[in-house]
Parts: sequence; structure tokens; C-alpha cells
Amino acid sequence: MFEQQLFNGLTLGLIYALIAVGYTMVYGVIELINFAHGEVYMLGAFLCITFISALGIPLFPAIALAMACCALIGVSIDRIAYRPLRKAPRLAALITAIGVSIFLQNIAMIIWGSRPVPFPRDAVPRAFSETAFTLGSVSVSGLQVFIYAATIAMMIGLTLIINKTRVGTAMRALAQNQVSAALMGINVNRIIAFTFALGSSLGAVAGILVGMYYNTLSATMGYNAGVKAFAAAVLGGIGSVPGAMLGGVVLGIAETLGAGYVSSQYRDGIGYAVMIAVILLRPSGLLGKSVGQKA
Amino acid sequence: MNANKNFLKAALALAVLALPFLPMVDDYVVHVAVLVMVYAVLAMGLNVLPGFCNLLDLGYVGFYGIGAYTAGILSLNHDVSFWIIVPGAVALGALCGVLRGAPTLRLSGDYFAIVTFGFTELVVLFLTNEIWLTRGPLGMPGIPPVALSLEWLGIDWRYDFFNEMPYYYLGLGMTALVYVVMGRIEDSRLGRAWLAIKEDPLAAASCGIDLMAYKTVAFAFSAGVGALAGCFMAQWSMFLSPDVFKFWESFLVLCMIVLGGLGNIKGAVAGAVVLVALGEILRVVLPKFGLPTETRFLVYGLIMILIMRFMPGGFFPTIAATSKKSRLILDLKARLEAGRAG
Repeated sequence: MFEQQLFNGLTLGLIYALIAVGYTMVYGVIELINFAHGEVYMLGAFLCITFISALGIPLFPAIALAMACCALIGVSIDRIAYRPLRKAPRLAALITAIGVSIFLQNIAMIIWGSRPVPFPRDAVPRAFSETAFTLGSVSVSGLQVFIYAATIAMMIGLTLIINKTRVGTAMRALAQNQVSAALMGINVNRIIAFTFALGSSLGAVAGILVGMYYNTLSATMGYNAGVKAFAAAVLGGIGSVPGAMLGGVVLGIAETLGAGYVSSQYRDGIGYAVMIAVILLRPSGLLGKSVGQKA
Repeated sequence: MNANKNFLKAALALAVLALPFLPMVDDYVVHVAVLVMVYAVLAMGLNVLPGFCNLLDLGYVGFYGIGAYTAGILSLNHDVSFWIIVPGAVALGALCGVLRGAPTLRLSGDYFAIVTFGFTELVVLFLTNEIWLTRGPLGMPGIPPVALSLEWLGIDWRYDFFNEMPYYYLGLGMTALVYVVMGRIEDSRLGRAWLAIKEDPLAAASCGIDLMAYKTVAFAFSAGVGALAGCFMAQWSMFLSPDVFKFWESFLVLCMIVLGGLGNIKGAVAGAVVLVALGEILRVVLPKFGLPTETRFLVYGLIMILIMRFMPGGFFPTIAATSKKSRLILDLKARLEAGRAG
């Protein structure tokens, strides 16, 4: 029982981690809480099922296509809503982010309706719904194996991009200091756009995985997931990519165990409570550097 | 010019006072007018934190909810009079404001915003799950209306607020009270201290302004006003449900003050008038295009983005400035130029 819940919590945590890295990368580079990131996650899931059911595209190409679309959406959000406000007060940018989030959520409601939509079952491989193997008292489904493989592969890929490539180096430079990065000849806007594209495509995958895991999607699903992923990013230390991964996993486990042993009604509350507690007790998070407070 | 302005003001005041008696005004219009007042009070109350102190509060409706549920539970289950509930609920709201604010005193910017956001989510979860107290998702129907009574003096006289009209005047009184108090505070030592904190906390502290004390007063004051609006709303609408206090509502009130111009009391009221009216118009217009009325948030979201993009200061100060301030500045500039030339 306990081991099974721990394992389910870990699965959920890996998905949170995927969304959280999107938050943390954007925050690291332009210090903006991108409230619309949860909506990109939701759009990824809806686009994927639309590609499958309306256009008859198989699951994996549909996922890739949804990732590409979300990357484009993320870049567009930055270009249209955030870039004009780079020099404006931070409050203006934050309010704009909330505006974008609400705008996108309502667009989704108009297109796909406000009722929950099931994930098309016949598009998902049969092996996903069956038990792949049992490990002691823990039974692992094929879908969980896929979630593990996909999320861990993407985390490794992301870490390599950030640490080993030129564009990753540029991202890190921007996170350190935008002005000196620009003076070194880095095209700031292009790197920010790349950050949005990267984070948004990972968010899309997370949305699709959650859709398959719970077998249901809704236009409002981005809201809760966004808050939780943000909590995960804060927990790990906002701006730190490994921190966001760790934070997601910790939050997923805390939430699943909390729902199992404390109160299932307050399941969502655990995420908020953890977030508030971390901000109050250790604002720099588990792996974050202590940044000076910027008013 | 001045006489003209005073005449306009008097005409406006008269129109507001006589509104329920005007021809063509039916119960629906009065209802919307009362709704405007509730939001105007909320907007003025929220304005204290982001507008006066530069602390972005994303969880303001939590206090609205606390006030509303206090009124709902006390009047429905314990038969307490509205007039006794009001001071109690305002005090409870202020206390919750201090409790929420105290640990966040050190925080600023995004971290403060996120904590306030989490706070409202927890309030909504509490209202949804503590069914023994709040009836949870079923909501609380049948909250008794406000009543005026002299029975406590032994005189057999009682007047129940049976329709929209008495609420209109009660709401008008509440709005006017909050408006006047806000204006007085803005002009006082307290308001100037808040302004100093807003401009530069570090400089304010080094001038001897006790940041902790002044921020705590702001937390209490803002939350108390929110609870007041909640009390009124509960007894006016006679129904409560946790859904009313979700994040969207906070966002809507935030829209009002940002739209009207952060830190501007008149702007907050103007924002409430415009957005409530817009909401009612969209409620009628949207279904004609086959869209659910909830999609009015789409329009709000869009307005928010556009205003931040083109009028980061809000529409009220922008319009007021073009008519008054800019002339003053132009005049000053002209004089300086003339002085330099001479």
C-alpha cells in the first residue's frame, strides 16, 4: 500500500517536474512568473487529442506536433504580451501574464467546451493500460513505464542542452546578468524566445501524459497544474532547473501520501501549503542560491 | 468653470440619490447598481495594498469570503442582526489580514503575490470542505435579509429589506463611507507613509518610517474593508457558495483597480462601474454569439493585456492627466523655457 502510493506519487511528481522546469527557466531568464505556462500545458494536451481524433494522426507523431505547436504558442506569448513590457514595472508584466492565462483558458473553453473530455483510448497502445511488471507489492503499468522513460529522457536532454550547448550557455549567461550577456554579443530576445519554446514544449508533453494518466482533459486543468508546478519550482529554488525537478518529485510524493493518509479533500491544499511554507521559511528553496530581494 | 463643475457634481449626486425612483429604471438596473457598489468597495479596499503600498495582493477575495461566510453563518444559524455582524466580521477580517500579512512582512514582489494567491486557494478549500460549518459545495441558501428593528428597545417596529431599493441606499451609504475614509487616510500621515513605502521601502525606513507597523495597518485595513463588502453581499444576495470566492474574482477586482489606475481611489470606483457594466452587457451579448457567459473573462483578459500594453498607468489618471495635469506641466515648462531664454 505505502510502496504503491510512493510509486504513484513519484510518477505524478515527474510530470510536475516537467511543467516546473518551464516555469523556472522563464523565471531564471526574465524574472517573470509566467502564469500562462499552465495554459500552454493544457493546450498541448488538447491539441494532441485533436490531432489524433480529428486528423487521424498516430499518437507519437501527434505528441511531436503538439510539442511544436506549443513551442510556437510559447514564443508568440512572449513576443506579443511580454516583450513589449520588458522595461515596464514588474507588476504590469505579472498582471499581463494573468491576463494571457485567462485569455487562453477561455479560448480553449470556446474551442473544446467547458466539460471534461476523455483521452481517445484507441490511440493509446494496449500495453499502456496493462501491468508491465510487479516489483514486490508495487504493480507498474505500461503507461507508468512510458512516463518514467519519457520524463527522465527529457530531463537528461534538457540538462545537456543547458550545460553543453552554446544556446544553453547563453541562457545561463542571461540568467546571471542580462546586460553583460547582451554586451558579450548574445541576442537576448532570441535566447528568451528559445527558453519559451523549450519550456512550452516540455509543458505540452506533461499535459499529454497527465491526459493519458487520468484519461481526462479539461480547459481548466492548467490552473491547478500551473499552481502546483509553480509550487514545485519555488520548492526547489526558483530559477534552478535541477531544483525544479527535485521540487516536482517531492511535491508529487507529498501530495499523494497526504491524500492517502491525511485527507483526500485537501489534496490540492497540500501543494499550496507546501508552497507558502517554503516561501516563508526558505525563500531560496531547496537547491536555490540565495538571491537578494528585488522589490 | 468652477461653478460649472460644482453644478455637474451636484447633478450627478442628485441622479445617484434618485436613481431607484427614475422612470425607466427597473429592479434589474437597481440590482446592477448595488453590484457596482459591492465591487467599488472591494476595489477601494484592495487598492490599499497594491495601490498605496506596492504589494500585489492576488488573494483579496479571501477576505470577502470570510466576511460573507461570517454574516451567512451568524445570521442564518444564530439569528444575529446584520448591525452586530458588521463590526464583528470587519474585525475578524482585519485579524485574518494581519495573520496573513505578519509572516509575509519580509517578502516583497512576486513572493508576496504568490503567498496571497495560495491563501485564497486555502480559504476556498476550507469553505468547500468544512461542510459542518459552511454546507460545502451546496452553498448556504436562505440567509435572512437585513432588518431595521426597534424591538430591542421594547418598541414594536420592524422593517425588513424586502427588495433591492433599501439595499441600494444601504450600499450607497457603505460606498460613500469607505470612499470618504479612504480619501481622508490617503491625505493623512498614514497615507503618506504608505506612499513613501510604495516609492522606496529602503528610503522610507531610513527616514524613520516603521515599515512593519505601517504595513500591518495596511493589511488589517484592506482586509477589513473586504470583509465589510462580504457581509453586505451575503445578506443582499441571500445565498453563498464557495465558487463565488475563487481566484477569478480576485482577478476581476484587480482588473478594476489597474484599469482605473493603481493607487487612485476615484479610478477604483470608475473601474468597478465600467467592468460591472461591461460584464452585464457581455452577459446579454455573448449568448447571441453562442458563447457561454463565462467567456466574458476572455474579454477581461484581453482588456487587461491591452491596457497594460498601451496605458500602463490605467485609464482614469490618463484621462484626468490629459485634461488637467498636462496643462499644468506644459505651463510650467513654458515658464521655465521663458526663464531660460530671458
